[in-house]
Amino acid sequence: MAVQGIWSGTISFSLVAIPVRLVTAVEPGRVSFHLLHSRDYSRLARRMFCPEEKAMVPPDEIIRGYEIMPDKYVLMTDEELESVSPDRSRTIEIIEFIDLGEVDPIYYDHPYYLISSKGGEKAYQLLVEVMRRTNKAGLAKFVLAEREYLVAVTSRDGALTLITLHYSDEIVPDGDISPKKGTIEAEEEGRIRKSIELMTEDFNPGKYADKRRKKLMDLLATKVKEKAPVVSPAAVEEEGEGPADLVAALEESMRKVKESK
Amino acid sequence: MEGRRLPLSNLEKDLYPSYGFTKAQILEYYRRIGPLILPHLKDRAVTLKRYPEGVEKDFFFEKRCPEHRPAWVQTAEVPQDHAEPMTVCLVNDLETLIWVENLASVELHIPLAKAGSPGTPDSMVFDLDPGDEAGIPECVRVALILRDLLSGMGLASYVKTSGKKGLHVYVPLNRKETTFEDTKTFSKVVAGVMQKHYPDLVTARMAKKERDAKVFINWSQNDSSKTMVSVYSLRAGEKPFVSCPLEWRELEYPSGSGDPAWLRITHSAALIRAEERGDFFQEVLMKEQGLPHL
Repeated sequence: MAVQGIWSGTISFSLVAIPVRLVTAVEPGRVSFHLLHSRDYSRLARRMFCPEEKAMVPPDEIIRGYEIMPDKYVLMTDEELESVSPDRSRTIEIIEFIDLGEVDPIYYDHPYYLISSKGGEKAYQLLVEVMRRTNKAGLAKFVLAEREYLVAVTSRDGALTLITLHYSDEIVPDGDISPKKGTIEAEEEGRIRKSIELMTEDFNPGKYADKRRKKLMDLLATKVKEKAPVVSPAAVEEEGEGPADLVAALEESMRKVKESK
Repeated sequence: MEGRRLPLSNLEKDLYPSYGFTKAQILEYYRRIGPLILPHLKDRAVTLKRYPEGVEKDFFFEKRCPEHRPAWVQTAEVPQDHAEPMTVCLVNDLETLIWVENLASVELHIPLAKAGSPGTPDSMVFDLDPGDEAGIPECVRVALILRDLLSGMGLASYVKTSGKKGLHVYVPLNRKETTFEDTKTFSKVVAGVMQKHYPDLVTARMAKKERDAKVFINWSQNDSSKTMVSVYSLRAGEKPFVSCPLEWRELEYPSGSGDPAWLRITHSAALIRAEERGDFFQEVLMKEQGLPHL
């Protein structure tokens, strides 16, 4: 079965439009645990608690406030938030091409793959190849899950990757971090240069692995063999997202329903 | 009836004791609603929900057609996992309807597929079930959003009361290509999208504790092993309410919405509506629609 995307649409520039699907390029390696009740192994739920009333707060009594000064808030409704959200879009429009080396890695946020959809294979391959030969990256604006991202589209091993980038005002200015400039002694510089040269290798990320994760997974594997797992009483059905096209079409229909209200 | 002898029993027995509604009245209701309900029951494996001692006492579900049935009752053989096929009643004519009602089958439940094509649902259903702190107004709101959402997908839908607290929204399919896998996938994604956009109003999860003030969209009824209460069936309860079709505009009309009895339609109201408006729920049996994006 074909990989299901989290988004599908087209990537385009000038007169070219190529149908693609977006899939995430990294599986987070973090091992996550659920919180259970020690008495009956029920999955615990998070509830909002009002310290003033010493009581749980039902969802319809929860609103949003932006703290402008201690204990002073400006209220914000769902509708107001939505009014500033970008319109959903089904295109990744490349606005300019840049040299790949120009993008400072500090801007990199999350990597995805763009997979070619039916009918776009040839144009996709052509774009991958030309971008590889010219060593260029496409810069594009792209709306995903109610946010507009600046993204870099690059060519990698015969496929297109898409990396969401941080906006420049999200980057903490380094003025506060770097120490004041002083003079550099030639002798010291030589020594450090030498150490760096001695330690220089080709980049080979496969050499490194998350050791704690490995140990943790081994420990889990051993425990599974030793003892049967505990069973949670409320084994609720899992929530899958469903076919990407159907989800997208329903989201679009829902947007119209909300607009007309 | 029709030259068939049908002995009726215990006609004076009051099956809704706190309201006062005898078995004779139940038989009379089903006789009069017969022309409307029969097309919906036709060729389906009817499950009888029987209340021999009245609606306030014990009931039992009868899926198997009783052995002591008259020779003229039509039946079907339904294949079962790990067992011999089961003989079920087909309520295809008025005589059979009266015979099953004489067994105090207050409620009639039917699968979404016909007995001859058990893997092919004729419709997709959303069973809207309000939690303890939610009521008809919340349920109506969810139903209207659902109607508009489906309409945006090019799908017409029809609504009936559950006869209890909820509403049932039906999407007619009537295509042999559509499977329960399709309707289940589609309805589950719809319920998920509804929950995502209206998290305070809707839940797509079965767990009772998550319902509270929300409306549970039960998509899992889209299964060959599940049954839904038939349209026009009576419901067991304090009064003889009916699972009755509604026109969408009745839900948009807010005048009755403050009244807890709003949208609770009794046997007599159902008969009047049937006489005045006919069966506008028959579209569910006829309209052909395909589920997009599967």
